[in-house]
Amino acid sequence: MIAYTLRRFLALAPMMLLMTFLVFLGLELTPGDAVSFIAGPEAMANMDGSQLAALRESLGLDDPFLARYFRWLGGVLRGDFGYSLTSGVPIARIVAERLPATLELSAAALLVSTLLGSALGLASALNRGKALDQALTVAGMIGVSVPEFFFGLVSILVFSIELKWLPVGGRTRPEYLGLWDRLPHLVLPALVLGVSMTAGVMRYARASMLDALGKDFMRTARSKGLPEARVDLVHGFRAALAPIAVLIGFRLPMLIGGSVVIEQIFQWPGVGSEFLAAVRGQNYPLVMTIALLSVLAVLAASFLVDLATAALDPRVKLS
Amino acid sequence: MPERRARAGRSRLDGKLDRIREAEEAGLLEHARGSRALRKMLGNRLSLLGLAVFSAIVLSALLAPWICRYDPQKIDLRSVLRPPSAAHLFGTDKLGRDIFSRVLHGGRISILVGLGSALGAAAIGILLGSYGGYKGGPADRAFLRLSEVFMAFPQIILVLLLVSIVGQSVSNLVLIFVATGWGSIYRMTRARMLSIREEEYVQALRAFGLPDLLICYKHMLPNALGPIMVNITLSTAMFILQEAALSFLGLGVPLEIATWGNILNAANDINVLARYWWIWLPVGSVISLFVLSVNFIGDGLRDSADPSQLG
Repeated sequence: MIAYTLRRFLALAPMMLLMTFLVFLGLELTPGDAVSFIAGPEAMANMDGSQLAALRESLGLDDPFLARYFRWLGGVLRGDFGYSLTSGVPIARIVAERLPATLELSAAALLVSTLLGSALGLASALNRGKALDQALTVAGMIGVSVPEFFFGLVSILVFSIELKWLPVGGRTRPEYLGLWDRLPHLVLPALVLGVSMTAGVMRYARASMLDALGKDFMRTARSKGLPEARVDLVHGFRAALAPIAVLIGFRLPMLIGGSVVIEQIFQWPGVGSEFLAAVRGQNYPLVMTIALLSVLAVLAASFLVDLATAALDPRVKLS
Repeated sequence: MPERRARAGRSRLDGKLDRIREAEEAGLLEHARGSRALRKMLGNRLSLLGLAVFSAIVLSALLAPWICRYDPQKIDLRSVLRPPSAAHLFGTDKLGRDIFSRVLHGGRISILVGLGSALGAAAIGILLGSYGGYKGGPADRAFLRLSEVFMAFPQIILVLLLVSIVGQSVSNLVLIFVATGWGSIYRMTRARMLSIREEEYVQALRAFGLPDLLICYKHMLPNALGPIMVNITLSTAMFILQEAALSFLGLGVPLEIATWGNILNAANDINVLARYWWIWLPVGSVISLFVLSVNFIGDGLRDSADPSQLG
């Protein structure tokens, strides 16, 4: 297992390094003065031309490209991403402020899609070929076809505006801060994001369950005279669960992409809406940093998924 | 108990096979003609339905200038925010523009972007992937690594990043979609070619001394095309969804040009969302229906191209 972990890590590290290099290249090629990006707005305001030139010199902006890259990389590793072009706030602080909201939404959506997806997939597999299975398959197709944001708009119209059950958007009312008070705000965006990811989980859970149902141990369990429900749910579903667990890791890119759109519709103050604002304002340092963080998160997640798969199924290590 | 299980285990498919056998024994079956894949696809009710909806939407978008009574861009401040009526089937928007006309004309751009991007991505992916899978070599390894880089990003993040750099226009959007989308078709084609490469007929062609390009593109590629066609169909659906999302966010096609996403952009306003449903609900439904029909077609194609995926 240690050798396998090391091998996977040796595949992961160059990829991550390549990503940081590409993002740095992007930062260098996009417009926006590197001095303002590194020095911060307060320092910039009180300087004339010669001071700026001296600053460029002292910051090493006239150094060769690779030297600048490694200095930037060193900063990134210490959590220093430079400053936002529009507000002058350190990017690390912006992300740190916004991340909890996004994590909250993502975790809730992950929970919704996992529970709903595996339950529906299980029901579909146990009724293979019957009306329920076919209805769920068609429902799944509809689920991947309706745009997430349109689904979000319709739910706002129905649940917030017409029925007035839930707030229209935002994360909290100003006077409350506890999770319990925020819950009504979380319900709708989490359900919309979760349900829009459910179809994929359901399809996967169904295939995984069908695979488990055909295994010999299922016949053994039946021949022992166990009740049908116990055979299906305990013996079958548990065996089907391992690949479903893997799927949770692979949903991360969808989750990140989906949360950008959903955060916008529900005015959820997370990293996604900050990213959109940065794209609109051509605030390249912020755009690049958030893109870098998201791709690093995806790479790290797929690394963890590989390890989890290997831990669950020893045969994987040999391939 | 066992009999009950046996009966419970019988699916719709079993019943179908029984009926076919009965018909065969009675001598009712004719010899099948035409392409097996085509026949199979036409036998799939959902993909037939998909094909019908797809054709209806594509045709009405193509014929939009002849169907519509109103210019999609014409501002008419005397009839602003009218609900649907006989004069304006889907009503009018804030500037008095006819929404039905905008939806049909918008479909032209949206479908063009989706289909164009999918075909562009497929052309690059197939061209590189088939030769890479067949011959290998350093260029193939470089492309493989490059596609990994593109595919590691959550797609919408990468698309938005590129939009912020190159700016918004229809052609830029297609270029960005092609740049971010070629990887999956490349990898798929490559994988298919890797397995086809081992087949005997390829060895035989090689032994005859046929040029590599001919073996690769003329003799091997057609055998790899089935799943690739499915992939092209599904990526058309994906690109249409992405264009809609981007334009809805105001970051896709410039707002002056009517597309499905741009029409929906009006629903960013909570007032429009709550009170003027006809501005956004019909066009959202059209997008959903269109993408659904493409997905049904893709599903039918998958079943007919790869029988092992059935059930």
